[in-house]
Amino acid sequence: MSLEELAFLVLAVVAVLTGTAALLVRELVHTILWIAVFFVDLAFLYFLLDAPFLGVLQLGVYAGAVTVLLLFGIMVTRKRIFSREAATGVGPAPVALALLTFVFLIATLGELPASEAAPQSYDPSALSATLFSVYGPWVLLLGIIMLASVSGAIYLVREGRE
Amino acid sequence: MSGLAESGFLVLSGALLAVGLFGILTRRNFVLLLIAIEIAMNAAILNFVYFAAFAPTSASGLAGQSTAVVLVGFAATEVAVGLAIVLALNRAKGTINVAEATELKL
Repeated sequence: MSLEELAFLVLAVVAVLTGTAALLVRELVHTILWIAVFFVDLAFLYFLLDAPFLGVLQLGVYAGAVTVLLLFGIMVTRKRIFSREAATGVGPAPVALALLTFVFLIATLGELPASEAAPQSYDPSALSATLFSVYGPWVLLLGIIMLASVSGAIYLVREGRE
Repeated sequence: MSGLAESGFLVLSGALLAVGLFGILTRRNFVLLLIAIEIAMNAAILNFVYFAAFAPTSASGLAGQSTAVVLVGFAATEVAVGLAIVLALNRAKGTINVAEATELKL
C-alpha cells in the first residue's frame, strides 16, 4: 500500500466519522467543531487529488467562513450556547433509506473503467484562465445570485420589517 | 495512486451523500439541517474534483475544477440565506425546530 492510499484511507474514515458525529452529538457547539474537522479533512483530500486551489478554497470558504456563519447562527438563536439538543429519536426508516442510497451508489461502481493514471495536476493560473474565459458566464451568474441572496438575507433579518 | 483509492473516492462520496441524507431525514434543528445539506453538497463537489483529476483531456479537467469552484460559491450563498431564515424563524417562533415552522409566513 502506497503512502497516498494510506493517507486516503485515513482521511476517508475521518470524513465519514466526523460527518456522522456532527449530526449525532447532543451539544450544538460540538457539532460545529466536528464539522470544522470534516471541512479541513476534505481540503486535505483535495490536496491529495492534486487540486491545490480547490483545497485552499475549501479551507477558506468552508472551514473559515461557513463554520463561523454556522457558529454565529447557533450563538444568536440560543440563550446559552452550551445547551443540549432535545433528544430526537432516530427511526429505522431514515437509516434504512440512507443505507439503501449508499448500497445503490456502490452497486453502480462496477461499470466504471479502471485506469492506472496518476491524478493530473492543474496550474491555478490555467484554472483561473479557464474559469474567467470559458466559464465567465457562470462566474457572472454566481455573482448575481450572491448579490440577490445577500439582499434577500438582509431583508429577512432586518428589524421592524412590515 | 491506483486501484483501491480510485474507486475509493467514489465510495467515500456515496457514503458522505448517505450521511447527509440521513441528517436531512432525521434532524429537526434548522442549523443541523443546513449542516447535513452541506455534507451532501461536499460529496458532490468531491466527485467533481475527483473526476477532474483523472479527466482524459486538460480542458475537461479544468472544466471539472471550474465547476467545483462555482459550486463552493453556491454552497456558501446557500448557507448565508439559510442562516437568515434561521434568524427570522427564531424571531417569529422563538425556536428553530423545523417541525414547528408550519406556515410560509413570519
